Amino acid sequence: MTVQTQRRQGGGYLERPAPSGLADVISIILDKGIVIDAYVRVSLVGIELLTIDARIVIASVDTYLRFAEATNRLDLYEKGGKDLGELFGGMQEGGASSKTSGAVKGVKKALSGGDDDEERRPARKSSSRRSREEA
Amino acid sequence: MRTEVGSYVYGVVADPDRTGDRLPDGLTGLQGASLRLVRHEGLAAVVSDAPLEGRPGRAAELRSHGEVLDALAKATGVVPAQFGAVLPDDDDVVAEVLAPRVAELTDLVEQLRGRVQLNLQASYHEDVVLAEVVASDPEVAALRERTRDLPEDAGYGERVRLGELVSRALEAKRAEDTEVLLDAVVPHVDAWAERGSAGGVDSLLDVALLVPLSRVAEVEQHLEGLAEAVHERIRLRLVGPVAPYDFVGGEGWA
Repeated sequence: MTVQTQRRQGGGYLERPAPSGLADVISIILDKGIVIDAYVRVSLVGIELLTIDARIVIASVDTYLRFAEATNRLDLYEKGGKDLGELFGGMQEGGASSKTSGAVKGVKKALSGGDDDEERRPARKSSSRRSREEA
Repeated sequence: MRTEVGSYVYGVVADPDRTGDRLPDGLTGLQGASLRLVRHEGLAAVVSDAPLEGRPGRAAELRSHGEVLDALAKATGVVPAQFGAVLPDDDDVVAEVLAPRVAELTDLVEQLRGRVQLNLQASYHEDVVLAEVVASDPEVAALRERTRDLPEDAGYGERVRLGELVSRALEAKRAEDTEVLLDAVVPHVDAWAERGSAGGVDSLLDVALLVPLSRVAEVEQHLEGLAEAVHERIRLRLVGPVAPYDFVGGEGWA
């Protein structure tokens, strides 16, 4: 399954994997739906369950070292040779980067302007999987 | 009754004799078995013959289960059953599945009628957000400068400290950006549910969205707009429409 991250046909940035890979199918279907106390169960053979990606991130020294490595590897000059100051509008002080705040506000503005007034959020249902994991 | 064959249950729909709904033509189930309805009090379980020996299942059967449910969801709406349930016969389907919860299933069938699920995932472009963190925190920038040219076995304490600062900064960003994304999406859907997959540190969202079939194109278009708005920092991924697997709990509706 190839997943593009560039613009795709129709000018879209939204990734639409089609057809769905097995990992998606398993993630969507397995353990979801009403529970039936069945006489017999069809269960997936173990090897196919290994495609479920259980990346549980635990804040730990290993995680921190990975972040440090990723941060060190950053090539901050990749965008047309601009230095850090230019790239981030000279934002040197601590606190949220102005570009981040700007990007976030831009989304809010772009999506709230002209749309329906934001109603109260529809009630959120916890998925059966989440409830089970908490049990 | 052949004792070696049982009834595999896909899900529950409103009895088409009562609603006048048309179920999809030519739909087959696991191992190509033909589908039939088991009716009870305005409900109908969708079932097919399946072997009773409990031999292990394969990906193809999981896909068949999903294809049947997705087609039913798009045609009329369906309450999905969990994959894999085989009962001895149709009478048991009534006795074990339908009769004990007529009221609950009737409510669910009504809630999910004409509705489908879209699964939306959001994740960071890691390099972009890491660069933001470096730009916004002088201590991070300084630690990065000090450690990046050291050999691998040096500067352990500083690397851990650098990683810890970055990790915390990313958590704060995730909290903020998740809120922005949800605020942009949730008003457009009937219900939403966290899917709770452990998606890794770059993962912002993994949610199921319940949407009327008639509004899928509109919601997809809105999500395309959102994807474009955030594309420099965040990638959005959409799967569906599929059957409403994450909305059978019955609680949490407005």
